[in-house]
Amino acid sequence: MTLAHLRLRRRVSLLAAGLIEGREREETLAHLETCARCRADREALASVVAEMERDPLRTAEPGIEAAVLAARVARAVEHARVPGGRPRWWLVALPAAAALAAVALMVPSLVGKLEPKPRAARVTIPQHVTIPQSEASSLMSEEALARIERNLAREQAARYLNQAGEVLVTVAASGADCDRPEDKLDVGEAPERSRELLEKRKLVVDAGGEAVASARGVLNDVELALRQVAELPSCVKRRDVEQVQKDVEARQLLMRIRLMTRELEG
Amino acid sequence: MGASESGADDRELMQRLASGDRDALAPLVERHYRRLYRIALGYLREREDALDVVQEAFVKVFQAASRWDGSADAGPWLSRVTVNLSIDRWRRNKRRGQTFSPLAEGDHLDVLADHRPAPDHGVVGRESGERLSKALRALPERQRAVVVLRHYQELSLEEIARTLGMSLGTVKSSLHRALHRMRATLTEAEP
Repeated sequence: MTLAHLRLRRRVSLLAAGLIEGREREETLAHLETCARCRADREALASVVAEMERDPLRTAEPGIEAAVLAARVARAVEHARVPGGRPRWWLVALPAAAALAAVALMVPSLVGKLEPKPRAARVTIPQHVTIPQSEASSLMSEEALARIERNLAREQAARYLNQAGEVLVTVAASGADCDRPEDKLDVGEAPERSRELLEKRKLVVDAGGEAVASARGVLNDVELALRQVAELPSCVKRRDVEQVQKDVEARQLLMRIRLMTRELEG
Repeated sequence: MGASESGADDRELMQRLASGDRDALAPLVERHYRRLYRIALGYLREREDALDVVQEAFVKVFQAASRWDGSADAGPWLSRVTVNLSIDRWRRNKRRGQTFSPLAEGDHLDVLADHRPAPDHGVVGRESGERLSKALRALPERQRAVVVLRHYQELSLEEIARTLGMSLGTVKSSLHRALHRMRATLTEAEP
């Protein structure tokens, strides 16, 4: 076999792999006309390639939500960083904490909205904004005020969903053993956070009225999931954690939360 | 997921990670984890190991983000990290004497209960999957990486060379040898 023929044999492999074109391809095809061995090679190699193309692993799904994986990564990074390695809650809950702070600012205005007030006092600009209500009323039309109220309600519902999502991701990403012999996992403060969120639900969500009507389905499913988590201790049997994970996945809750949050935030 | 959907491209996300913005991690994971999972799965042929490798790859990216100079694309870099980690995992498994074990029936049932499309269910572990796995396992590590990037990721020769830090000629030779070796293994394994 000559060196030239060796080079052509390599091209035959690349041809079978679908990787040569143009002049090289033409030359290789022309060589195949005269070389029975190379033709046989091409046929055999093409069947190897075809077998790989039929391999179902090429399109396999990871079977895990990106958010869950991201939370696991954050925990692993923190484990690597902290000697003794107990994960810090804030790595998962940092965004939720920010959202919580934002909700804390908004809640007083919602409380005000639940109490009956004279018509002129309907403006629900958050209390930290220093425009006097009478002045605000004179500056804004009823329509503009209604729009502000609607936007606030939707923003609050979005923050609530964000926080709930963080809690559910935390549970889904639970991986640290807290009691190895009993096969129990640490879910940190997720149960407590769930209880807090459930307490806020009425103020934050129900007060939204028609503004958050499109989110009712997701909100109801989130409430069910939070109730499940709220009943857990902080050190939970693995199968209980897996049950929550399965329910969340069956309802595609994390994805629906993400989509609904985007919709609510406009 | 495209850049418009995540609101940021890889470069921007890496820069945010490098500056300590942890919120950039989730969109980066979302953009790449499926692709990286398929690379690791193609290489290792084992679901749990593949997922571990992907997680480890993102941990490495997270930790090394501040050292990323921004001159290279993040995508090939992520692929390279994943390939290297897959090779490490493969060596570790080999040292432990672990060989490829197809998914057991129970695993297939879990996949069914997973409420997601699971095209591999019921196939891995069957004859063709086993033969293919055997043929891939018989390849030297780098050759296997070339085959996986070509036939499981459909990368071009140039992209494979860039990802693995090899010359174009080496990639071509590796692929040529790998296909011939796989052909021989598959022929031997024919019923």
